[in-house]
Amino acid sequence: MSGHPTALIADDEPLLRDALRRQLAEVWPELEIVAEARNGREAVRLFDERHPDICFLDIQMPGLSGVDAASHIGRRAHVVFVTAYDHYAVHAFEQGALDYLLKPVEEARLAETVSRLKERLESSRPAINTEQLLQQLSAQLAKLQGGGKSEPLRWIRAQAGKTLRLIAIDDVDYLRSDEKYTLVAWRDGGKPAEAVVRTPIKDLLEQLDSEQFAQVHRSVVVNLRAISHVKRHDNETAEIHLKGRDDVLPVSRSYVHLFRQM
Amino acid sequence: MSELATAARPSGMIAKTARRVGVALTISIAIAFLMMHNGWRSGLFLRTIIVGLSATTAFGLFELFPATLPPWIRRWALQVIAVGVFMPLTTLVIYILSTPRGAPPFWKVPDRMNGWMMLTFLGLLIAPWTAFVAVVRQKEAFARDQKLAFALERSELERQALDARLHLLQAQVAPHFLFNTLANVQALVDAGSPHATKVLRSLVAYLRAAVPLLNEPAATVERELQLVRPYLELMQMRMPDRLNYAMNVDPSAMKVRCPPTTVLTLVENAVRHGIDPSEEGGRIDIDIERRGERCVVRVKDTGAGLRQSGNGLGTGLTTLRERLQLIFGDAAQLRLMSVAPRGVVAEVDMPAQT
Repeated sequence: MSGHPTALIADDEPLLRDALRRQLAEVWPELEIVAEARNGREAVRLFDERHPDICFLDIQMPGLSGVDAASHIGRRAHVVFVTAYDHYAVHAFEQGALDYLLKPVEEARLAETVSRLKERLESSRPAINTEQLLQQLSAQLAKLQGGGKSEPLRWIRAQAGKTLRLIAIDDVDYLRSDEKYTLVAWRDGGKPAEAVVRTPIKDLLEQLDSEQFAQVHRSVVVNLRAISHVKRHDNETAEIHLKGRDDVLPVSRSYVHLFRQM
Repeated sequence: MSELATAARPSGMIAKTARRVGVALTISIAIAFLMMHNGWRSGLFLRTIIVGLSATTAFGLFELFPATLPPWIRRWALQVIAVGVFMPLTTLVIYILSTPRGAPPFWKVPDRMNGWMMLTFLGLLIAPWTAFVAVVRQKEAFARDQKLAFALERSELERQALDARLHLLQAQVAPHFLFNTLANVQALVDAGSPHATKVLRSLVAYLRAAVPLLNEPAATVERELQLVRPYLELMQMRMPDRLNYAMNVDPSAMKVRCPPTTVLTLVENAVRHGIDPSEEGGRIDIDIERRGERCVVRVKDTGAGLRQSGNGLGTGLTTLRERLQLIFGDAAQLRLMSVAPRGVVAEVDMPAQT
């Protein structure tokens, strides 16, 4: 290790970048901040250009997150995560002995982190292998942002004419699969409307609340609340009539048991 | 809906059939005991039980078939009539089959003829009435079921309202937002920046508007703006190079009532799912317009757009939608659509109540 240790700071909020730089200057005057990044992608680019010894990465950044940037950096630098209160992330840090700082950064806490970093740099120990941990963390963050997979779908993103719309699942009367896409029959402020999505009906069905939606035909999934009545035919099939809509939906033989009387 | 639920349960079918057979058997055996006093002989129990079960079968059969009925006859009438018609037929079959080979037909033996008439008469007297009572009880049970379903639905709505308020509470004092803002304030104070006071003032204004709002069932557009302005000031201070915004509010919309944090939720959504995930950031335009009896709140951003925002889009909007539904029913709508070349428009269209 020749000369002064170098560092990169990545945070999308300029004031917080300045603050960390100032605090580091007080606690660790020899540390040279060689790069400041405004997002994950910039952090990766600047890291590749300047090869700093230490990277301070904010977790929530636009585009590439701090965790993604850390995966790219790997063991080539010591990574310290900086985050505002983020329960899950903090939990993961503690378990994996990753370095992290909480915003607003306390001087005492920063001093601790700095002395640990100095130790590592002096013993020229390589950065800890965090690949697996980062993968876990990344998955956790994705889950956090995605609201978790177990939760039923609440909005469908569909094309209505020329605009892409977000349709609340409660407004959907039924879904009908066509060759290439799925037709979404829904209510735009009470009026019947139609939109299309590229997702196959099978994949949509998996994400829907089974208390509210039922498959009644190979290509039809209906919102049970939208049904006005069901007419049964002699040949073990039936048809569904909907509230406030003229469309009639087929019920095939294998689903007709859903509508048997008491 | 409740029909569907019950029909889907096979155990319900079995229990119902068992109950019916039980009733038929009890009545049959009771009649057999009564008739025994009139000097009847063997085979009596068997006969009455067969009659009882055949009536039950008729009742059950015409409950399901034919699947569709002509409009001039009701299902329950058909069932009662069917039971009535089955009575003499069944007794006839019993008497014909129980006549020994070579013996004269039963109507030529006065004793047996009397027996047949007695059994048929009692059957006709009792069975259709039993069927009728069964139909009435079934209707009552259905009404009870529905009442229960309604009560359930109501309590579900109440729970949703409570949930919505809880969500609101969590969203408005979100630790992430608060700590991040405080980190900025601290940064400014440490740097001795003259902006520190301004930012603190925005934060105080935001909290002052947000905290009491949580306990109120309704707000006005004006109160919403007291919340939205400091929020946007804070966010712009945090992302000065990435966030621009403009507000255009129709003065006649100021007194319009809305669920608390309606406007804030739309703006917050634009920041969190439009501007924040976008490296270049964007611009937020807030338009609040009063069109006669309607009030339209439109928040447009030029941020990341619908596709990139992932599934996370919605928790705030979903609760807002639920709250609008609870208050206005179908009279209010929350619409979301993408705009070219980039960004999203979120729009609340609600009745302008003052």
